[in-house]
Amino acid sequence: MIKKFIHQFASPKTYMFQVNRAYPYIFYFSVIIYSLSVFWGLFLTPEDFVQGNSYRIIYLHVPASFISQSLYLAMAIASAVYLIWKVKLSVYLVRSIAPIGAITTFIALISGSIWGIPTWGTWWVWDARIVSTLILFIMYLGLISLHDSFNNFEKADKFLSILVIVGSVNIPIIKMSVEWWSTLHQPASITLSEKPAIDLVMLYPLFGSIIGFAGIVTCLVILSSKFQIFRREKNKSWVNDYV
Amino acid sequence: MKPIRKKRLMSVLLILITSALGSYLIIKALDSNLDFFYTPSELTDQEIPNNKRIKVGGMVLEGSVLREKTKIEFVITDYKGSIEVVFDGVVPDLFKEGSGVVVLGYLNEKTLYAEEVLAKHDENYMPPSIDIGN
Amino acid sequence: MIMFNFAFNSFSEAILMESQNGQSHGIYVWSVLLIVFLCIFMTFFFYKNKIKKITKKFK
Repeated sequence: MIKKFIHQFASPKTYMFQVNRAYPYIFYFSVIIYSLSVFWGLFLTPEDFVQGNSYRIIYLHVPASFISQSLYLAMAIASAVYLIWKVKLSVYLVRSIAPIGAITTFIALISGSIWGIPTWGTWWVWDARIVSTLILFIMYLGLISLHDSFNNFEKADKFLSILVIVGSVNIPIIKMSVEWWSTLHQPASITLSEKPAIDLVMLYPLFGSIIGFAGIVTCLVILSSKFQIFRREKNKSWVNDYV
Repeated sequence: MKPIRKKRLMSVLLILITSALGSYLIIKALDSNLDFFYTPSELTDQEIPNNKRIKVGGMVLEGSVLREKTKIEFVITDYKGSIEVVFDGVVPDLFKEGSGVVVLGYLNEKTLYAEEVLAKHDENYMPPSIDIGN
Repeated sequence: MIMFNFAFNSFSEAILMESQNGQSHGIYVWSVLLIVFLCIFMTFFFYKNKIKKITKKFK
């Protein structure tokens, strides 16, 4: 039964219908959660005892960098599924997540740079955390242009998913960079093993902004994947019926 | 699982292991070159040539800051070793006694002549009213 | 613990975001907010547009 369910959902047609049904709920829910949490974080929390008001950038920076790494993990899992089970939808998703990942990484880098000016006294340094995040950004762009450089979709899909898996080693490196090496970037404030180093008053809106941003990014991935499915399946009859 | 899928799963795992191993070796080879700064105790342990541009990070020792017009002198420490810093310029707003700092400069006769001073803050976020002790 | 408390007393204070050390951090916070919103909005617009274009070809 599970097999049948997976097979059904793995068809782009079913995916499209399910996703279309869920889209408005995810969209309105996440936009509301995100705007409320960002408003809460920016105006209703006290300022930080060291950084002052510039710390408020955390409510925009942390969700973006967290999601940029999560998206890569999602891509790696989808790539493995494609390579093992040859599920077409899976590789469509890999290709559609890549540009969204690039944008979230871009947001993480830019917001971090602007945050660096008042706190560190510089907008850019070559420390391990920042360099590994920059590599993530370049990887996203590279994967997109690699996939688009092939004439043959079959070949492009295979190369793309293999390279995504090769590149996935960068994710633990980004995560652990602040532990393994000395960096200007501070260590993680929220870890699974320890009590958060952020005061609760500041932590709740941060969680809200992460959840909200994740939802908004999910909507973007849905749109991007719809475009990819149309692009790849334009000769199938269901697409024409659907439109 | 069908044998062909098992084979594909194995090759995916192989790709993952090879790339992990590869990056481990690269990182191992680069070793401390990936560190952003030296700590003061590392400086006393190793020979670092004069006039080589280095970065040193640590805490600003309490009571060590001396200001004279734009010139500022202080000691950075990691509580195992320490080094004296001379700097002429503007320090970041977060620069304070007892807080983290990264200094770029040249070493000369156990004194660091700084070109740039960056503030390093930690992972703690708190409202100002709460005691830093907890 | 007070969960909600306006950090700023007026609109102009919220624009400037002056911190305890006397620095105004508003410019940084507001520019990041603007960049994030622009990025999200432009990506939505971009994909909506692309989907519209590609579905037009089918008809």
